[in-house]
Amino acid sequence: MTAQPPRPPASQSPRARGPILAMALALVAALALSACGQRPSETAAGEVTRPIVIGVSLPLTGDFAQPGSEAKRGYEIWRDMVNAKGGVLGRQVELKIVDDASSQDTVVADYTKLITQDKVDLLLGTFSSLLNYPASAVAEKNRMVFVEPAGGAPDMFTRSFTYLFFAQPATAPRQADVFVNWIKSLPADERPTTAAYPSQDDPFAHPVIKSMQEQLEALGVETVYSELYPADTTNFQSVASTLASKKPDLVAQGAVFEDGVGLVRSLKQLGFSPKMLFQTSAPSNSSQYSDGVGVANTEGVFYTVSWNEKATTPLNAEFVAAYRKAYGAAPAEDAADAFAAAQVLQAAVEAVGAIDQDKLRDWLHANTVRTLLGPLSWAANGEPKGSFLLAQWQSGQVEVVGPPELATTKTVVNPKPGWK
Amino acid sequence: MAHLVQAIALGLLIGGVYALMASGLTLIFGVMQIINVAQGAFLVLVAMVTWWLWNRTGIDPIVASLVTTPMMFGLGWLTFRLLISRIRGSSPSMSVLLTFGLALVIEGVLNLTAGNKFKSATPAYFEESFRVASISFPKAQVFGFVAAVGVLGVLYYVLNRTWTGRAIRAATQNPAGAALVGVSAAGTAALAFAIGSATAGVGGSILSVLYPFFPASHYEWISRLLGIVVLGGLGSLPGAVAGAVILGLAETLTATYGSLGWSTLVFYLVIMAVLLVRPQGLFGARLREDAA
Repeated sequence: MTAQPPRPPASQSPRARGPILAMALALVAALALSACGQRPSETAAGEVTRPIVIGVSLPLTGDFAQPGSEAKRGYEIWRDMVNAKGGVLGRQVELKIVDDASSQDTVVADYTKLITQDKVDLLLGTFSSLLNYPASAVAEKNRMVFVEPAGGAPDMFTRSFTYLFFAQPATAPRQADVFVNWIKSLPADERPTTAAYPSQDDPFAHPVIKSMQEQLEALGVETVYSELYPADTTNFQSVASTLASKKPDLVAQGAVFEDGVGLVRSLKQLGFSPKMLFQTSAPSNSSQYSDGVGVANTEGVFYTVSWNEKATTPLNAEFVAAYRKAYGAAPAEDAADAFAAAQVLQAAVEAVGAIDQDKLRDWLHANTVRTLLGPLSWAANGEPKGSFLLAQWQSGQVEVVGPPELATTKTVVNPKPGWK
Repeated sequence: MAHLVQAIALGLLIGGVYALMASGLTLIFGVMQIINVAQGAFLVLVAMVTWWLWNRTGIDPIVASLVTTPMMFGLGWLTFRLLISRIRGSSPSMSVLLTFGLALVIEGVLNLTAGNKFKSATPAYFEESFRVASISFPKAQVFGFVAAVGVLGVLYYVLNRTWTGRAIRAATQNPAGAALVGVSAAGTAALAFAIGSATAGVGGSILSVLYPFFPASHYEWISRLLGIVVLGGLGSLPGAVAGAVILGLAETLTATYGSLGWSTLVFYLVIMAVLLVRPQGLFGARLREDAA
């Protein structure tokens, strides 16, 4: 191979200087002009024509790419529905969605840029507690209302933030209450006597399992196994082997997704089927879950969930239809949660009649919003005051089995049948 | 006792699969001093193609490696000719940047074409086990282990018993000497890169059955594979096997007798301990430039 003389970098070449100068000038001009455009307009007419821009950063790549992409779908379906009905306050809605690559550093940079440089009118939250924790701090510092579709870890609400609103019915530690209540409703001889609690060290999964363990221990259910594992754990056969030797009545796993699929497969491989199986969020991933574990193995698996496809809540049927039309599949819970977060923001803006962050905040603290997840209202720290649904896989479908007033069926599969 | 035997059996089975996945990485490094960060993405790419073939035609994922192995051989060869050959002779860190870029491109393309969802090939045996006395041997892992032994055996044979293999090893050990006796350095390197990439054919097929995956799963795999080859000694095939088996056993034994939370960490503690005593890894040879 013949060596070639190194080419000089473009900026040092005299001929390149002309276009670069022109580019720089154009850029300065563009910046100056756009800054003019963003100054609050005095005339009402200008306000009406300009769309409302909502800034969002989502994990579209990296670890949270899966829920992040679902959240994007939820937001976009909401935007299209709202715009088709004439927008909010008579203005069209525009979403400015950027990718934070599931990184805490990037999400902070993204929201800072959306607020200070892009000067968006409103914000919507990102996905997972991990990312919403730093992102909500940026919003709070800039005094902007931050409605988040996910992020129920207890630490979110110990900071006395006043602009933060969690648009799900309950936080992580309260999620398991509906399952514990169901166990309490059983005759004493049908309750589990022993239980095992493996959980991923995840701010959304572990608090659910920890709170469940405490509540069940108070009911007299003996804990035979309780272990935390990191997110990159992929092999669950050793856990399954240990569980098979301890034979707990109930296995309650703090499962995000792969770990939930991994444990079910491993339990079957090791030949142990508990009488009750509860997993936090893995079973809510509809067909991805049933494809992963095999649809026959889903029978009787419990989980708690913020949303159900069959619920008769405001806009739920329209949302499900729009999602099915656009993506040809049943909507994921994450998409519904994002839709609900947008509904919350919309309700506040329409009630207040203007984009005034402090008024929006005060209105949300004082009122209940009806969303497709059901009615939502908040404590002063942004913590929601409702309760989750207890869902169960039955014959390859998801049914709501608790609380009784919201159940879609009276049948509860208990005990869980052995693996097929 | 049965519990201990079960843990060891599971550890060995998983170790065999890890060894297969790591073999391509160590082979490529051995010949070219290139750390192929895209090896994890190659595995996920194959897993995706395998899943697609299985989903469309019902062809068994492990049998599908008869299709994916030549595909990866071709992709590896093209990657070398079009990309890697351009940075030959520059610092090794360039190869990390280049292959990392390639990994990102593969991830992006998979995101756009296959979508951002977990996939998992579930042939009839995916959650079944062979049972001997009270010990379970998960079928998918057994098949994966057998395939791994087969592929590693072929690799070992090719490297040690054929002229192609001798040329590859000669180019590894003394590039100038090999060139003097008529070994084409570029041709050999392209071949080694292609063979290393082709191992992802079987590795990715097994991955698609054993673990749910999505386009970004490759980060998790490449970090594990790098750990294995560093422990075994970069460039050494027996080293990769030893590193993989140690990882498999460390994971299962720690999860069974210690704590599940420590199961991935213990392996990295082992790496640190080994590197303190043997900086070249278990089977790594010290190069002349290291001694200087």
